[in-house]
Parts: sequence; C-alpha cells; structure tokens
Amino acid sequence: MVKTENPLLLTIYGNIVDKMLESTSNIEEANDQLRALGQELGSNLYLNTEIADKTKDTISTREDVAKLVEVIFKVLLDKKPSDIDMDSARGSIRVSDRDCVWCQEINIEGMRGFGYCEIFSGILQSILEFKGVEAKVFQELSKATGADACVWTIRLD
Amino acid sequence: MSSDLERALSKLRFDDQVLGYSLMTKMGRPFVSFAFPDDLFPRVKDSINLYKTDLRLMTIDTDKGLVVLSPVDEYWILTVLYVPELQLGLAIAKTKNVLRLLEGIELPPPPDDFEESSESNLQVLETIAIKAASTSAEEAAMSPSVEAPAESTPVETTEKSPDDFLIQSDTIPKRGPNYSGALVLDSDLYNQMKSEHRNFGFDVLMLVDDKSDVAQLADSMFQPTERVTELLKWAASKEIVEVPIAEQVASESGVAKATVAKKGKFVKCPKFIGDQGKVTGDDWTVLGLCNGGQTSETIAEKIGVLHSVVIKTLAKYRKDIKMIGKTL
Repeated sequence: MVKTENPLLLTIYGNIVDKMLESTSNIEEANDQLRALGQELGSNLYLNTEIADKTKDTISTREDVAKLVEVIFKVLLDKKPSDIDMDSARGSIRVSDRDCVWCQEINIEGMRGFGYCEIFSGILQSILEFKGVEAKVFQELSKATGADACVWTIRLD
Repeated sequence: MSSDLERALSKLRFDDQVLGYSLMTKMGRPFVSFAFPDDLFPRVKDSINLYKTDLRLMTIDTDKGLVVLSPVDEYWILTVLYVPELQLGLAIAKTKNVLRLLEGIELPPPPDDFEESSESNLQVLETIAIKAASTSAEEAAMSPSVEAPAESTPVETTEKSPDDFLIQSDTIPKRGPNYSGALVLDSDLYNQMKSEHRNFGFDVLMLVDDKSDVAQLADSMFQPTERVTELLKWAASKEIVEVPIAEQVASESGVAKATVAKKGKFVKCPKFIGDQGKVTGDDWTVLGLCNGGQTSETIAEKIGVLHSVVIKTLAKYRKDIKMIGKTL
C-alpha cells in the first residue's frame, strides 16, 4: 500500500462498498445499489458545490456533456479524466480515468463484472438529469478488478 | 435489453484487434454496424446465402482482415472483422464470447422495414422487445393455473437441487459420473443442458479438468464467476460434476447455514509482497501468514494475538502489503 490521494475518502468509501457487498446477494445487485447511492448524493453535490455555476443551465450537445464531466471531475476530485471518448460509440460517451481516486490500491479477485466505482456512475447520472440530460451511466471497466483504467459509459438516449 | 445488447457489442468495440462488426439479419442485411467496411458486405451476404439455414460459425480471409461470422439465433447473424494478423483460434474465441453474451439477451426479430446500419436501430429493437413483452405478459396473466401444477410436482428424493451445493471462487469442480454423458451430442442430458443453458454449459464442462478452480474457469472464458457457478450447481445436481455439498461444508466449519448465499462473504486479505529477509522474527509470525487468502482477523486468531497487533504489523510494512478483496 503506497501513498494514496484522499485517504479519508478511500476509507469511508471502502467501508461503504464492503457493507454493500455484505448486504447484497450478487454482483449486479451491488452495482445497482452503488449507483443508486451515487444518485442520492447527486442533489446534495449539485446544491453544495460550484458545479451548477460553472456549467451551462441546459446541455444540448455531446461536447457540452463532455465539458460537464470535466467540471465534475475538477470540482469533486480536483483532477481531469484521462480521456473522454465521443467517437468510438455513436450514442455514448466513454469517460476514462487511469488514476481513479475511488479504487486506489484496491485489488479484487474473482468478482468479474463488479463495478467498484459505480457510485460515480450514479453521481454523473444524477447531475446530468439536473441539466436535462436523460442518460444511463454505468461502469464499464474497473481498475479494482484488473483493468488499466476505470471507464464509465454515458449512454445518451 | 438495448443496454445489454450495447454492452455485449461494446466488448467488440473496445477490443483493439476488432476493426469493425455488424449485427445482421439472417438475410445478410446489416442492422447495427460499427466501422464494418461497406465493400465487405456483399461477400458476407454471399456466404450467408450460400449456407442459408445450415450456416454455422465460419471465417473468411479478406484483404481487409479476418472476418468471423456466426448465427446468433434464428433471426440474427453476428459478423466481426478482426485485424489480419490475429490468430484464427483467438478470433473465433473472441467471437464466441460475444455470442454467449448475446445468447443471454432475448433479441426480438428484426422489423420488416429498416434503414441499414442506422444509429436508431438499437432503439427500434428495444421498442419491438417492449411490445412483445407486453403481449406475452397479457397471455401469461390469462393462464396462471398452468403454473401451479408444474411447481407442485414432487422432486425426486435422490436428486439434489442446485441450491444444495456450495461453490466459491476457489472451489475445484471434479468430473462426476455423468460427465461424459453430458458431453455426448443428442444424449438426454446434453439436450437438457442445451435447452437450459445453451452452449454455455458445454463450454464450461469442456474446461472442467479437476485442477482449475471456478475463478480460473470464469477468467479463461471471460465470463462472470456467478454465471459459471450457476451452471456448475445445475451440473452438480445432475451428477455431471462434483462439488462440495452445502451441509458438508457447514458441518466441517461447525457453523449452521440456513441458506446458501449466491456470493460468499466479501473480505479483504493481506498479502505480503516484500522481501522476507527484511522482516524481523516477531513480525514474520504475522507476515508469514499474509498470503492473500485469509483476513487479518483470522490471522490474529491463528497466532493467538489481538487483532490490533496484526494491524500494527501490517502498518509497519504497509509498502509491501497488498490487500486483496475477494469473496470467501
């Protein structure tokens, strides 16, 4: 275990994930509940941070969505995402983070399909809703389960 | 359904060795495509028309790359274009993985009229699926009495149910008495497996070698351990494989288990990855047990010290400790 960013966030979130895994019976359910938790946090985050001030009131283009994601990263995590891919998939935007804060130093074995950082999917989805964007966000890949980067897909309808 | 389909197709989209793909109708019309070269469509369509209902997985070597195409079900064909230098076996394996995911999704038949490779086609499919689901829900509501007799059929006392077995990530399934029977095409067991689990069951059983554990099987198939575990429990109930029975495990550990959890308890196990030579004797009493397979609480119990002593030792060597999260 080496130096981590936001050790307090890590410890609290790690505790939340552990409890979530104990109280759910399968991985899909755990993913759903972590996303739901993220959505619950969305309104407080929107009220108590500068996200609303630093972004347009209504989002109409994919570029706007990408800018919103960058602002969310900056305000909440004080960093930039490694990549925002709007080209590979028409209808979706993929957000990647090679230095994901949520799952630093987390190594999980034998739980393929588990989205350790799904709480962030819920946060993104909730804030997008406030901006009038109906989207489904889920974690595609997680460093915690062995991927090179954490990747979230924002599926725009 | 469309998000499941999107997820299945995204396995191809994010694979560096995939140049493009197309989900096509059984007539060879592209429905949902991604970067699939237009000039390859006629060739694919020719192959599809050549074999018609006899179409199986086939490969076509083209100057643009290796094309692998396979029927998904009676309505759909998946076609993938891989980089030319990819080994044939790997291309086939990758395609089969996606086919397995697609098999788990109830794809409705394509509409009669659609724009080829249009972006909105996924949504079109979703609409058809929703309409089909609401029609079948009405039919199901009209015949509830049919369900009751089936459920009350008594289970044979000699046959165990899948829930009687306890399978975890490190369980090693062994081949059972009915193993070879299940692999014989058109045997009763094979047909039963095919109707309940399609080809997935066969693929898992082929990998059971009495040495690999569930996590290794799942990893080699790029499938979730839950899906493999579910199949193995079914196979165990038919004596195709042998795995620990829940009651046996309970009595060994001395803990009564009223129900078998679908996944084990999630815990974090410390693993020492540093140089043993730099560890003092006392500290090694703790670190020597840090193999990534037991929790710090278990280690404390084993050596008869307080949990805080173990934590203090781990903290001292924190740079050489990795915490592995797993389900036990």
